[in-house]
Amino acid sequence: MSNGDLRVGRVLRVSTRGFVIGCEVMRPEIPAFGSFVQAEGVAPGSLIYGLIYDVSIDDDLFARQFVVANPPEEVVLDQRENRQVPIEVSVLAIGCREGGHIRHNLPLQPPVTLDWLYQCDPQEVYAFTSHFGYFRLILEAREVPADELLAASLRAAAAVRPPSERRPFLVAAGRELARLLSGDPVRLEGVLSRLGVSD
Amino acid sequence: MSLELTQLTEQIQAMGTTVAGHCRQLADQVALAHSWLRQYAHEGASLRPVAAGFHAAIPTDEPLDATYPLPSPPAHYTVIAADGSQIQPDRHGAALYYLINIGSVVYRHGSGQAPQVASQPTLGYVNTDLYEDGLLVSGNLLDVRRDLAEVTRLADLCADEPPGMTVALVDGTLLLWVLEERPPDWRAAKIQMYLAQMERIRASGAALAAFASRPRRAEVTRLLHLANMGGELDQARRTPNPLEHLPDRMVFEALLPPGSRSALFVSPARSNREGYEEAGHSVHFCYLNLAPAGRPPVVARIEVPAWVADDPATLALVHAVVVEQARVVGDYPYALARADEMAFVSTSERNALEEMIIASLWRAGVRPAYSPKKYYKTLTRQGKRRYRG
Repeated sequence: MSNGDLRVGRVLRVSTRGFVIGCEVMRPEIPAFGSFVQAEGVAPGSLIYGLIYDVSIDDDLFARQFVVANPPEEVVLDQRENRQVPIEVSVLAIGCREGGHIRHNLPLQPPVTLDWLYQCDPQEVYAFTSHFGYFRLILEAREVPADELLAASLRAAAAVRPPSERRPFLVAAGRELARLLSGDPVRLEGVLSRLGVSD
Repeated sequence: MSLELTQLTEQIQAMGTTVAGHCRQLADQVALAHSWLRQYAHEGASLRPVAAGFHAAIPTDEPLDATYPLPSPPAHYTVIAADGSQIQPDRHGAALYYLINIGSVVYRHGSGQAPQVASQPTLGYVNTDLYEDGLLVSGNLLDVRRDLAEVTRLADLCADEPPGMTVALVDGTLLLWVLEERPPDWRAAKIQMYLAQMERIRASGAALAAFASRPRRAEVTRLLHLANMGGELDQARRTPNPLEHLPDRMVFEALLPPGSRSALFVSPARSNREGYEEAGHSVHFCYLNLAPAGRPPVVARIEVPAWVADDPATLALVHAVVVEQARVVGDYPYALARADEMAFVSTSERNALEEMIIASLWRAGVRPAYSPKKYYKTLTRQGKRRYRG
């Protein structure tokens, strides 16, 4: 699991519902909104799965000095690539792996401060999204842009599947959403349109 | 809140009045210093043999009031900076240990590349780390270890660079400060270790300098008093110095045009004469106005070893690079600011380290505990409240 190339950053703050991690550098692929990520749980062999729902960079008094100062190129690169103010990445917990089984419920315990957070590899994303039990955890999360997050994560989950499976996967996801959001057709239409399966 | 600020009101007002009066007195002192600097500008040769005896700046061949304009910086150069921080051993803590964290930056100006930054933490926890000469390594003993680690890191990085167009920077001073109360052999050994790293930097072909922001040393002003006493040591010691406590920096603030440096002087420190000089690293210093034209002066003290001071091209490189680096941030070299940032250990990092150490001790079967004093401090110093019923 612990593929160093897929490291996103280290855990800064935690709760059962989610956690915030810090990373130094923004790379083309990570951290990206809607990405599936995982951290080790406290119990041996356990994993916590999550979705990235926010990426933010705090204001920084040192970097602020250079905004209007036209600094040398080396300084700009230093501020972008080496700075110590971490990029903060917020993660919504959507499931866990315990005893070798994937469960779509909140973890019993959050990860530990300074643990590494990894991007899930395609096989893990495929396995985790083979059922849609985690939809409810996303749709009920008030602190996140739930509809956008769900759509982005489904597009990411479709992308790890063979081309022939992608549309059937999205259609099946759409059916599950139709069941869960049967009392809110406006919201359902919004999510389906973001997925491109509303037709 | 335990600090009764209301009880300090009168003292703070008195302090403001006193400081304002002191500023007016300083202006008079600066005017006197300027007149003496001009009057005795060419007395350096006669003052040189006696200056150290009065702990005054030792003149070089440059006139005392000389100023040297900012040289053009090269299009490409490298600045290497190292700085350190430490966590002192805490006998009340969960375990006895110290930490030295060295931050470093290799900044290649004109390369279009991001600088290389690094921090190297070292934990000292076994008895051979923690005790030296029978004493717990803390205070000045730990400062010495940190200073040695800084200069060693700097020498390591310089060794990887091609010769020339590289300036190695440390914050503060090149003079290793070892408490006078330590045995002479011990002090000499530490200074020799520091000098060995300076020699490695010299051998690498890099220049070396120390940068002191807002320096308070008063060595040039002591020299001026000595000059006014005709170079007579006894008379200078007996006669009150009208420039007493006037920092050299204030004398040069009104003297140095933007970007210019003062004359070079030699440090009168005892260690400079007893260790550095005979090793060929005699510490010279000058003052440098970092501010660009149209801005209030910002004067820093720059120290360089003799092999930099004696080579006009290398000295000009240091002069140009320090000013250009300082102007990136405003008045402090960018590479040093970043090295400091890489070395700094925040309170949250310190707490995280403590937690990791405690967890490690538990796993190893040891039950760590704070001393009762520390335990109760952790209770009383968190979220102090006053009942205002």
